Amino acid sequence: MTDTVKMSSRVREHKWFTPWLLVAPATLWLCVFNLYPALNTVYMAFTNKKPLGGGEFVGLANFARMLDDDQLLYALTNSVLYMLVCVPLLTMLPLLLAVLVEKKLPGLTFFRVAFYTPVVASAVVVALIWNWMLDDRGAINAILQALKVVQEPLPFLTDRWLLLFSAISLTVWKGLGYYMIIYLSALGNVGRELHEAAAVDGAGPVRRFWSITVPGVRGTMLLITILITVSSLRVFSELYVMTGGTGGPGGRVSSVVMLIQMYSTGFTGHLGYASALSLLLFVLTLVPMVLLARLNRKDG
Amino acid sequence: MSARRLVGVAAGLAMGLTAMTGCGAGDEPSAGDLGGKIEGKVSIQTWALKPKFTDYVEGVIADFEKENPGVEVTWLDQPGDGYDQKVLTQASSGDLPDVTNLPPDFALPLAQQDQLLDLEEADVDLDKTYVEGGLQGYRYDGLDGTYGYPWYLGTDVNYWNKDMLAKNGLDPANLPTDLDSLIEQARTLKEKSGGKVYLMTRKPGLNDLQQADVPIFNEDGTELTFNTPEAIELVQKYADAYADGLLPKDILTDTFQGNAELYNQEKAAWTTGSANISGLEEANPALAKGTEISPAFGDGPLYVQGLSVNAKSKNLAAANALAQFVTNPDNQREFAKLAPGVYPSTIASQEDPYFTEDDGSVAAKAKVTGLKTLTTAIPNNPKVSPAMSTIIDQQIALAISGDATPQEALDKAVEECNKLLAQ
Repeated sequence: MTDTVKMSSRVREHKWFTPWLLVAPATLWLCVFNLYPALNTVYMAFTNKKPLGGGEFVGLANFARMLDDDQLLYALTNSVLYMLVCVPLLTMLPLLLAVLVEKKLPGLTFFRVAFYTPVVASAVVVALIWNWMLDDRGAINAILQALKVVQEPLPFLTDRWLLLFSAISLTVWKGLGYYMIIYLSALGNVGRELHEAAAVDGAGPVRRFWSITVPGVRGTMLLITILITVSSLRVFSELYVMTGGTGGPGGRVSSVVMLIQMYSTGFTGHLGYASALSLLLFVLTLVPMVLLARLNRKDG
Repeated sequence: MSARRLVGVAAGLAMGLTAMTGCGAGDEPSAGDLGGKIEGKVSIQTWALKPKFTDYVEGVIADFEKENPGVEVTWLDQPGDGYDQKVLTQASSGDLPDVTNLPPDFALPLAQQDQLLDLEEADVDLDKTYVEGGLQGYRYDGLDGTYGYPWYLGTDVNYWNKDMLAKNGLDPANLPTDLDSLIEQARTLKEKSGGKVYLMTRKPGLNDLQQADVPIFNEDGTELTFNTPEAIELVQKYADAYADGLLPKDILTDTFQGNAELYNQEKAAWTTGSANISGLEEANPALAKGTEISPAFGDGPLYVQGLSVNAKSKNLAAANALAQFVTNPDNQREFAKLAPGVYPSTIASQEDPYFTEDDGSVAAKAKVTGLKTLTTAIPNNPKVSPAMSTIIDQQIALAISGDATPQEALDKAVEECNKLLAQ
């Protein structure tokens, strides 16, 4: 009792500003490097700001321009396609891989490492290697032609849709290991006794996967879905490197981030329009996140 | 904390930060007197000259300080990558060095913001000292004055693999001199080699349109106008050549290895490059010996580097004198000797035997050939921003791929670029 009284009086000895002082460095960092740039982006979206000069208020002109921007339409189509393909593939395939490598069998460490290696490699380096493989005279076309599957090389790096799906394949391949690791930790929380009980009741591996494993990692699955959705909308490296930074013929293989980069670069960068695009991307990433969070709450 | 209070606090903080930033930029130093005494501390900024040219630059600075005992020069050299961002940061924070190496496209926005000295005010006859092309780079439509002393210049020459041409039914003594003969010989090379090697390995750009006398801008520089019948015809020729397999497929996205690299690896018989063949000599010495050099098609491109003077320099007279000293004929000649492929921008240096004498080597031929086209070569238009370049490149690629006609693609490129220009 005496100890408790002493403790609380010691706590009361702190000045009123002590907690503020403790969080001050982090708050300052957040304000200078997150909050201020974010608010500044909102402000610039309504101006014709350039790196040197400009900055006059132009109302909704930057947003009106978006309606008349073909490239933005291509970029949004690409992002939605990216999301539609990546979300199911990267939600299910890593889970299957995690289930496969979860078992304690000799030699499985090799596969765990092998599946995780692409995650460690730089996205730019990996994309360059894929470029060499998918090139007109690269390994993939050489194999396809040797096997007589195709007569002429397939235009993986020049045709709009092939380029887009090549980039999606790269994202999926590179993401498998990362999400597999997340699933592996989640699988550790799924009770082994549930599997054993289900097995005793005659449930096969497929039934156990759908009825025990999937519900057991549902929360993780939702988190992964959100992560993939956001990263699909914000895709940059794969498309940038695989199109040589050009966005493909007609800029039809661009992403929104590539457009932001294009408009904000250089002495004459159009920071107003780039800021408006950033705001659009922010809203776009927010919508699926809110929807998924609501879905989770309802199911919960 | 409620959401409303949080937003209030955030807005207050942001306004405070904005105000703080404003305070820093408001106190601009007053400029020195151009006609004043040459003295005081001045800084000069170069672009990626260390460590290769350290001795040279330090020597020039020492000579300048010897001639002007009251001046102390500080040399800053910035790395090759991210130089535009560095200069941009310096310019927006008012920290631009007294003398800065700025290519014409970097100098234009600074000149528009009155950050650079108009050299017409300086005591020098620019037109009698520097070559026209170099000066043209720093004279802008809609802006009176000249905003940089031309420093070193560069241009392109054609490189031809003589052996490869001869082996594939072509005569190295009868090289292509324009796009039509290039396409014709590319066809022969493809047929004879069975498509194993190429002659043409790049798609056209704005430079090629400029070489074909296509007006990029209207006369007062307010609109882009390169969707002319001549430009459409040129792009159509490339599109036809692409459809006939005369160019690598991947040129559309620039993911191919690059025409110079394909040339070095002997997968292509032609490339364009600077008049410095040392890179080729290092990569493929045998090919360097077997290379024929010819002048660039048309007038050729002119690459200009120059020194601009900060209009707000505290020691304006010293800064201006330093820029003139570094770009004088003697110093430029010495620099060009150390940097093959680079030419002085001073008229007095053009007759220097070092640049005109041909000892029969491929390197000497490249040097002499480049010099011949230097007087007629055309500098890039500095008003074309990186975003415009990307759009033009994308639309030309679309036309060459056959997914749009050259007319549609060039119209679209002009329309989008004009939207950017109007902003």
